[in-house]
Amino acid sequence: MLNLPRWQTIVIAGITLLSALFALPNLLPSSVLDHMPHWYSSSRINLGLDLRGGAHFLLEADLRSVLNERLTNLSDSMRAELRKQQVPFKDVTVEPGRALVVNLRDESTRSKAIEAIRAVDPSLVISGTGDTIRVAYSDQEMAKKKKEVIDQSIEILRRRVDETGTLEPTITRQGDERILLQVPGIKDTTDLKRKINQTAKLTFHLVNEDVAATGQNIPQTVPPTTYLVPTREGMQELRRTNPKAWEDIQSANPRLSPEQICRRYQPQCLPVLKRVVVGGEDLDDSKATFEQQQGGRPIISFTFNSAGGRAFCAATRANIGKRLAIQLDGEIISAPVVQSAICGGSGIITGSFTTQQTQEQSLLLRSGALPATLTIIQESTVGADLGADAIQAGTVAALVGTLLVAIFMFVAYGPVFGGFANLAMLVNLLMVFAGMSILGASLTLPGIAGLVLTAGLAVDANVLIYERVREEKALGRSPFSSLATGYEKAMSAIIDANLTTLVAGVLLFGFGSGPIRGFATTLTLGIITSMFSSTIFTRMLLSVWVRWRRPSELVI
Amino acid sequence: MWKPVRLFAFKRKFDFLGQRRIALILSTLINIVSIVGVFTIGLNFGIDFKGGIAIQAKAKDGKAELDQLRNTVGALGVGEVSLQEFGDPSTVLIRVQRQEGDNQCVAGAQRVMQKRAGPGWLVKPGAAGTGDVEFTAPAALDGANWRDAVSRVGLTLQERQLPRGTTNTAKVDMSVEQRAEWCQQVAIKLVEDAIGTNYELRGTESVGPKIGDELMRSGIWAVIATMVAIAIYVWVRFEWQFAVGALIAMLHDVISTIGIFVLFQLDFSLTALAAVLTIAGYSINDTVVIFDRVRENMRRYKKMPLLDLLNQSINETLSRTMMTSATVFVAVGALVLFGGPVLHSFSIAMLWGVIVGTYSSVWVACAGLVYLGLRADQLRPADDKADKADKTEQAGA
Repeated sequence: MLNLPRWQTIVIAGITLLSALFALPNLLPSSVLDHMPHWYSSSRINLGLDLRGGAHFLLEADLRSVLNERLTNLSDSMRAELRKQQVPFKDVTVEPGRALVVNLRDESTRSKAIEAIRAVDPSLVISGTGDTIRVAYSDQEMAKKKKEVIDQSIEILRRRVDETGTLEPTITRQGDERILLQVPGIKDTTDLKRKINQTAKLTFHLVNEDVAATGQNIPQTVPPTTYLVPTREGMQELRRTNPKAWEDIQSANPRLSPEQICRRYQPQCLPVLKRVVVGGEDLDDSKATFEQQQGGRPIISFTFNSAGGRAFCAATRANIGKRLAIQLDGEIISAPVVQSAICGGSGIITGSFTTQQTQEQSLLLRSGALPATLTIIQESTVGADLGADAIQAGTVAALVGTLLVAIFMFVAYGPVFGGFANLAMLVNLLMVFAGMSILGASLTLPGIAGLVLTAGLAVDANVLIYERVREEKALGRSPFSSLATGYEKAMSAIIDANLTTLVAGVLLFGFGSGPIRGFATTLTLGIITSMFSSTIFTRMLLSVWVRWRRPSELVI
Repeated sequence: MWKPVRLFAFKRKFDFLGQRRIALILSTLINIVSIVGVFTIGLNFGIDFKGGIAIQAKAKDGKAELDQLRNTVGALGVGEVSLQEFGDPSTVLIRVQRQEGDNQCVAGAQRVMQKRAGPGWLVKPGAAGTGDVEFTAPAALDGANWRDAVSRVGLTLQERQLPRGTTNTAKVDMSVEQRAEWCQQVAIKLVEDAIGTNYELRGTESVGPKIGDELMRSGIWAVIATMVAIAIYVWVRFEWQFAVGALIAMLHDVISTIGIFVLFQLDFSLTALAAVLTIAGYSINDTVVIFDRVRENMRRYKKMPLLDLLNQSINETLSRTMMTSATVFVAVGALVLFGGPVLHSFSIAMLWGVIVGTYSSVWVACAGLVYLGLRADQLRPADDKADKADKTEQAGA
């Protein structure tokens, strides 16, 4: 039991050293870390928002309203198609939540009506009898639509929240209809909250080619039907070259109009007709795809609802060869040339795009489409100094806690065995730190509580072993034999005790949210690593020590 | 170098289970009192479960004036408000009850709008039975400025909700539930506006009605799932009597910990729930170590009466039980003393958990084995590992 082969000793020592190496960036002062390679110094444990300060919002998207809007759009298309196919119908009504009901005038036209419905969208699920036809999205389609809306909302949030590029928000999906927004280090959340409630505004305008033909970026006068709008590239350029102007634009109250921005700061602008051809609320979808022919260039496709499709058709038919500007939140994100009349509700934008560009553009288009209202259903904001207080309290508690435990072990089991147990506790803490660095887990205040508790629990394995060794020693065994049997016999109790606590830890992690999770992470990790540090690691220490000292009597 | 001190060396063998009837009465009493307390006095649920708002404010100069604050915040029409000093005299924790989304909240929203978007804004509730809210602007505005203004009170104005024609009124349609969630934000803004000049808002927590209900449900499930999973583990590793004994001990600890929360009216929040679950884990940890020894002794002394055997097992593991309890106790004690106000409820519960967990391992779990009539011949044959251990022992002896 105590005669460890040399390779085992080396492996155990190796694992311990490796953990120490992984844990080290968390313990060294930043002055030392500055001299180390970035990949190493940057692998540190993230502090949770409760420690570093910041805002945490759980947002719920109002999917029901969005779906109802989409159904209303669908019902428009349905009516148009039924009329086109000359199917007489009484009405098409929206059943809030998931379906449309078509009431026919004449039961005999049912199959023709179904054909018309299929023509609008072949994926719809059709049911009902006689002169009523119930049309619903399939469950699959429904799930897809919901996911799209959430993705779109995330995109809007990302753009809104990180407008200034100084925050590092984390935006993640939570379940079917929720979004978690975390912004570390933010001081004032008033603006942030406002941004959550502002949706993107997308409109399509024709470019006033007469004005553009003059070649001036900012003409002295433009006709009253036209205004100037900065382009996205123009604004990005401005932000790079003149950050002060950018700041002023962001903080202006009341907000500056696009025209005012153009006149005052002169970024690259385009003269566009004020009249809106189509609005984002009529845009159903936009995707980054590839052209069918001509080598499959990356392109952007988009789909309008029927109202949008009609308006778009009329506008493009009358303006072939002119540019159509796509304005999102007062910036022109793209101004493609109309190649042909785009009728039938869907079209494509071609150009010399990279795949990345088409993806970005289609995301931008989608984020301007019908957005979902986001409601804050949970909020937690922690000021930086409150976080600093928490760090201080946590650190003091952790240090005092581990120190007290260490003193206890020293007193109870003497310098040698107490020392081994305390060394094991130290290794355990290092391994928890290393594990958290590797897993990318965040350390929270409850997490520190978990660490302190782990320190108390981790020595339990050693207590079990040492008490057993004492018993064996009292039975008159030799030092070597008492140690070996002590380890052996304590093992089953150690495994059972740790595994049951582990069960609690894992379930805490699974069911828990927020603070519970942080606690469960350190507790679970701590229990797992303590199985190594308190048994395998101390056994290695003991085997080396026994061979070195060959004690004739155990002082335990 | 110093010599080890036997901190918990007991020369005498205690007859622990001789007192099992007294323990039974005591434990039953504590548990009944705890349960009765939960239903009569009630738990002091934190906002995690109840929903509501907690704002930590620090006076910009000097001491927080609690009475004055209570009057100010109480007059905002946000329902029940409670204040307490938090950590030091300059810091105060303001708690506002969960908002129900009534007309009072809409009136509050109007005050927020007038303060943040400009005077002259009017906010009115929509048709009864809906959660609709109507906004009237003091002057004609374009779409961007409408959206900007309404976002100041925490709402999103959709394109279709913008006023049409010549009216200056826009309606935001919401369900009653959505309005209740929004009213949480309105209440936060009202408090911010009312005390923001003299107090620095250090932290804000808000839990809407929906999340509160969900957290409560998942919390109850977590407790049940943890206890069942642990009981199953013990059943697989030991015998059913052990599992039942362990389960009763865990229930005992969990219920009496909840009793402590009732007694001291500690804040029962998510972290408190974490404490309860950890106590369940700790209690079982202690129990399992004794059970392990019971099993070992049952295999060794097949003829020994159960009561003696249990007593002997408890005595043999006693110094370990005391040692581990002591180390965990000092670690948690450090949390109580230095962990700060946020962890206070959690640490106190844990401290109690260490004591009650140790007690229950002996007097509830082991006493349970007596009442459940465990017999040596019911034990499964020892597994390989224990066999090996026995052989080494014989070889050594």
